[in-house]
Amino acid sequence: MGVTYRGWRKYLAVLAFLAPTLISLLVLSLFPIIYNVYISTTNRNTFHYQVYQMPEDDKAAFIEEHPVTGPFLWNVVCPVFSGFCCDPEQGGRFCVQEPFYENYVELFEDFFAPEALRALGTLLLIFAPLLGAYVTSNQVKKRYRPSPPPTWWHWFAGAGLVVGLWVLLGGSAAYDTLNNAGTFFIVMFRTILYVLACIPLFFILGLILALVLNSEFLVARSFWRLLIVIPWAVPSYISALIWQFFFRTEQGTINQLLNIVGLGGLRWLLEPTLAFLAVVIVNVWMTYPFFAVTIIGALQSIPYALYEAAEVDGATRWQQLFNVTLPLIRPAVLPAVVLSSITTFQMFNTVWLITEGGPARGAGKPGATEFVMIHAYKQVFQAQNDGLIGAFAVIVFVMLFAATLYSLRLTQITRGAYE
Amino acid sequence: MREPGAHLKILAYVILILAAVFALYPIWFTFLASIRPGGRLFTLDLLGMFVPREVTWENFSTMLFVRPFPLWVRNSLFVAGLTTIACVTLATSGAFAFSRFKFVGRESGLILLLALQAFPGVLALVPIALILQRLGLYGSHWGLILAYTTGTLTFTTWNLKGYFDTIPIDLEEAAMIDGAGPVQSFVRIALPLARPALATTALFGFMSGWNEYVMAQVLLAGQAQKYTAPIALAQMANDLNVPWGQYAAGALLVSVPVVILFLWLQRYLEAGLTMGGVKG
Repeated sequence: MGVTYRGWRKYLAVLAFLAPTLISLLVLSLFPIIYNVYISTTNRNTFHYQVYQMPEDDKAAFIEEHPVTGPFLWNVVCPVFSGFCCDPEQGGRFCVQEPFYENYVELFEDFFAPEALRALGTLLLIFAPLLGAYVTSNQVKKRYRPSPPPTWWHWFAGAGLVVGLWVLLGGSAAYDTLNNAGTFFIVMFRTILYVLACIPLFFILGLILALVLNSEFLVARSFWRLLIVIPWAVPSYISALIWQFFFRTEQGTINQLLNIVGLGGLRWLLEPTLAFLAVVIVNVWMTYPFFAVTIIGALQSIPYALYEAAEVDGATRWQQLFNVTLPLIRPAVLPAVVLSSITTFQMFNTVWLITEGGPARGAGKPGATEFVMIHAYKQVFQAQNDGLIGAFAVIVFVMLFAATLYSLRLTQITRGAYE
Repeated sequence: MREPGAHLKILAYVILILAAVFALYPIWFTFLASIRPGGRLFTLDLLGMFVPREVTWENFSTMLFVRPFPLWVRNSLFVAGLTTIACVTLATSGAFAFSRFKFVGRESGLILLLALQAFPGVLALVPIALILQRLGLYGSHWGLILAYTTGTLTFTTWNLKGYFDTIPIDLEEAAMIDGAGPVQSFVRIALPLARPALATTALFGFMSGWNEYVMAQVLLAGQAQKYTAPIALAQMANDLNVPWGQYAAGALLVSVPVVILFLWLQRYLEAGLTMGGVKG
């Protein structure tokens, strides 16, 4: 422990330095969340859209009715959270519902529709062998350390089982059921799928590039490094639009090129799967440089002596990668993974400009790339379905919050300079 | 390490060239569209998608001299510049407290900072507009700056705190024994050492002000005089009859400063991204 402020002086100093951050977060981060929780308890939608204006004449009666809290309610709560002071007789206004969790009930009915749950269970069961392979291969590795027998056949067997179960239990039927299940369920499911598709690609491409860019023999290393970060630097609303042109069916560059090898005519933005692939590609294009740069930074902090030692022990390049490099860059990469998982989960800009959440899958159903944020945007700004989508946002927030806490425990990055 | 074999070297260069094409083609494509006469985005002549066939600089001159592009850029510069300054100041101040003091609630404060990000931002637009209206900042650049700064605080505070943690505190303690206060010794000793992280913070602040358009569209709705470049360009792209050549020229003019900034700060970026504070 150094010479520093102590006791109340310390807390005063801390408060002073955190005050600007705290205030701006309270105003522009916390208030929107609180407001949204409030909206989620109201019936705000196209038919009940206006803010309830309290008639001035009622003021005396109102304050008489709430003797202690009256003035506070009337002057502070009601102007901002008018739903609490509502007169439901007045049409067109939105009010807090009775019971206040009405929207949540509606949502959960959608989340837990029996046929959707059954389909999800089936799919989980089908993919369970992969988890089994992961667990058993880890056990084998642990037990026979330091020279475990090969474990690839665990994965091989696991994959075989998955294929078998898929056929046996009707995987594609279950998938179709899921696709047609409740709106919120499928929106969440697709978004998670999107994150799961993007993050490994960010990491693998970023790692490959970082390894190449970090190698000693490279001529003009700094020139190559400069080239690689460019996609990260281009404003995303511009690059998204440009990529949207590449994916066009008739004139798009990608199809013009594919035409040469006779594969043209792919309807990139009109087929659900291809559209999904397209938004994955664009997100990867924009984000992998961030990973590459982070990993390069981490690679440079690995002491060279470790590789020399591994070399002396006769480790192959692969063994060096898996036993020296990967474990040592882990602390730097995990926070990047957590952060970009959140931003990918909340991707709006890019996907909106490319697909607008489409292609459509029928009236009233969310489109094939309608991820959480796009769905929320459409529901609020186009369908004016604020109350229900507010409840959805609260649930998403709670889930992401929990996931963040869990991943932070994993990364242990909250330790300070003194620890 | 052993000298890698020839095939490995060739593989490395193949990967690099592919990555470079992947990275650069969209920008080259934009450039081609900006110098193609007739405002067309495409040409069905395949070669024309890769090399310029006819060249005109008309789109650039229209953007620069006919359209109010300089005004948009000036607005963007104002917003992005002040966001940068606010970002660096607030994040440094916060990260200093988180890194150099041990206090009750420090860990939960850090976690809260990150967890607040988990709220779907699109749904925060309406309440943010509401509260800025109450503060009298709706429809002004200041409200936008406030919103952008808050938006970047999580990443920048975390990143700076991670970097500060890697600077040995002993140096400051030595200064404190010599009679300097904690703040003075931090500013004199640790801050100059944290230059890479400060540069990274500034870059993120600038980018968030320069590149954002969804929030700007909501907060500056209908005030063409105050439009930042992203809103103006996005509106251009939404027109029924989009002058694509001009759009492409504008897109390039807007992207080039950021790209140059990135390239200039590149060496700081590699050292300055230490979210976890794990630099050796």
